Amino acid sequence: MKKKYLSYLLLMIVAGLWSCKSEDSVFEQTADERINESLAAYQKELAEAPYGWKGIIYPGTGGVFSFYFKFNEQNRVVMYSDFAAESAVTPKESSYRLKSIETPSLIFDTYSYLHVLADPDGNINGGVTGDGLKSDFEFSFAKDTLDDGVINLTGVKNQSRLILTKATQEESVAYAGGGVGKSLLFNNIAKYLTYFKRITIGAVQYEVTFNTTGRTIKLNWLDGTTLKTFTTEYYYGPSGIVFITPLVNGSQTITGFTDLTWNATNLSVGLTAAGVKTTVVAAAKPLQPDVAAPRRWWNYASSKGSYWVSETGFTVEGKEDFFGVTSIPNYAYMLFFPAIAASSGTTYDAFAAYDGTALMGPAVVPSFKTDGRVTFADFGTYGTNTLMNGKVKAQVEEVNGYYLVQTSDITYDMVSAKDGKTWITWLYPWN
Amino acid sequence: MKLKITFNYLFLLLVLSVFTSSCKEDKLQDVENISGLGGETWAQSTIDKYISDSLTTPFNIAMKYKWDQYEFSDVTATLVPAKEEQIIPISQAIRRSWINPFVAQAGLVFFNKYSPKIFVLSGSAQFQYESKILGSAEGGRKIVLMEVNELRLRGMTNYVASRDSNNVKEFIRTIQHEFGHILHQNILYPVEFKTVGKGLYQGQNWLNISEAEARHDGFISQYASSGFDDDWVETIAYMLIEGKGGWDKIINSIPAGNSINGTSQATAQAILRRKEALVVNYFKTAWGIDFYSLQKRTRAAVVSLI
Repeated sequence: MKKKYLSYLLLMIVAGLWSCKSEDSVFEQTADERINESLAAYQKELAEAPYGWKGIIYPGTGGVFSFYFKFNEQNRVVMYSDFAAESAVTPKESSYRLKSIETPSLIFDTYSYLHVLADPDGNINGGVTGDGLKSDFEFSFAKDTLDDGVINLTGVKNQSRLILTKATQEESVAYAGGGVGKSLLFNNIAKYLTYFKRITIGAVQYEVTFNTTGRTIKLNWLDGTTLKTFTTEYYYGPSGIVFITPLVNGSQTITGFTDLTWNATNLSVGLTAAGVKTTVVAAAKPLQPDVAAPRRWWNYASSKGSYWVSETGFTVEGKEDFFGVTSIPNYAYMLFFPAIAASSGTTYDAFAAYDGTALMGPAVVPSFKTDGRVTFADFGTYGTNTLMNGKVKAQVEEVNGYYLVQTSDITYDMVSAKDGKTWITWLYPWN
Repeated sequence: MKLKITFNYLFLLLVLSVFTSSCKEDKLQDVENISGLGGETWAQSTIDKYISDSLTTPFNIAMKYKWDQYEFSDVTATLVPAKEEQIIPISQAIRRSWINPFVAQAGLVFFNKYSPKIFVLSGSAQFQYESKILGSAEGGRKIVLMEVNELRLRGMTNYVASRDSNNVKEFIRTIQHEFGHILHQNILYPVEFKTVGKGLYQGQNWLNISEAEARHDGFISQYASSGFDDDWVETIAYMLIEGKGGWDKIINSIPAGNSINGTSQATAQAILRRKEALVVNYFKTAWGIDFYSLQKRTRAAVVSLI
């Protein structure tokens, strides 16, 4: 009898201890309380920065863009953007809110400069129709510690990275004073009459090339006789161009270009780099010709039994389609067809225009020089078009020939060795 | 049988009661703490006040312009929010070209009963393969209007009639089109309508025919040729937006000769006139609405916006 009661008693004690999970959770607060607190803390952080925030964003299709944000407690935000000349200097207000969608998030919820990157209308940002630049305007907060002046955000749709850094008073004054607009003056480098450009910084002469769509800049320099090259992404900040990766060349560190100026009369861009004030100067020749490039270019198409294509033909002193080839009836493109045929034992190339039916213009025989130039000697003509057989033929067969600059796996620029003021861009579109 | 209340029995009860009561349930926490429950809040602006005064209070219509990806049926679509400066002009256009004519013609009770309660705005169109989606409706409750950032109305500083008037008409037509669906989903349109254009419908191929080709087959628009329902509401929408004069002009402009599908000019015109008659009769018998009067009011409003 006693044993039975004892066992029941034991059962009760065990039941009392086991049937309850511990009520204490890891957190003192509920999930909702924590979310609300988190949102409130982020809101405070964003709105209380006295001089606003600088932001850089990396959208899905590449490049890096810079913004300025000034948030207030009434869900309003004012922005500047380096996307275009107008957005660089004209502040624009829109709205934002914080919300918990799975994680605490920052939503820019009415259209602003930031949305220009994400707009699926390719006409607005130069991106692909339906995708835009694959950017974002809804972001989730990374698990940052607040108060260290940097907020890391990840785009919800395309995982674009947006990094906010507290702006200083000096920076906010620079934005309001049109600082980004001044930085954009760098783009006037495209107006130089020559293909090649150089900057001398201290004892080093750099050759500079840049791509304003991809927002990359490339600097070449000679170390003895060796050509060194450096490429970085960049954006337009309130004080100048900012390199994402600084160039460290011995004792010289270049973090970007500041104090940009543009002289439209002289066609001259001025800037300061590594503390040195300098100007971008036109150059007639490359710093060091890519000696193997002409053969490489020629062989690439020849090995595939195919040809290079140029949409607009020759650019002269910055003027695209200088000779007017695109106005030839049914003009498709200009082409360079290596070893297109042979005559009397001599293989020749076609450097001509194509209208869908026939070729027009010169047939040539190339000569590859040891200094990296290629020249084209007259061999004959296709068709009877007076433009192609006259002015264009004269340009093609210009005695000084051309340097070749490879700009990607399938693109080359062919630059006149006479003065660097005439060039043609070749594309291999058949892969 | 008398229940023996023994010590055993009591003890057993005690054990059972300990089992069942030893766990408190988690109390439901304060519901007000749940983030976003009951709708999000933000500092109210002039725009919010306008929407409240002009749409929500009189017609119980909400205008959602602040971005919310989940309001779009395809949450993966790449879209952007509306520009703030568009919201009030768009709301005014909606009142003028859709709400006011229907309320004036059919009364507030009718309108409030059948009108969709939520408008959702997207700044951009939804790009899809070879076409753009400009609007959609969901279950009679919600209308999504897209590409509102490209809408320029008469009166805006950057309005250019030759470039922008078609966009305005398309915008209003979208709303009328969707409202047309709501009405016929409540009261079916006449069965005869399905026989008027029989054999000429394009289905999915509607994207590949031109407006002129569609009209030469007795469809007011390419989209109308895609199927019965859209044919019905496109007919309504065009009649209202173009007005009697514009509608007559379209029909009279169908060229002589046969369409690609062998429809003669006379047949195409007769088809459109029959569709017109069925629409007018439907509105009278189903809803008690004088359609030509509604048309006059709507057209006058459209003219003021283009």
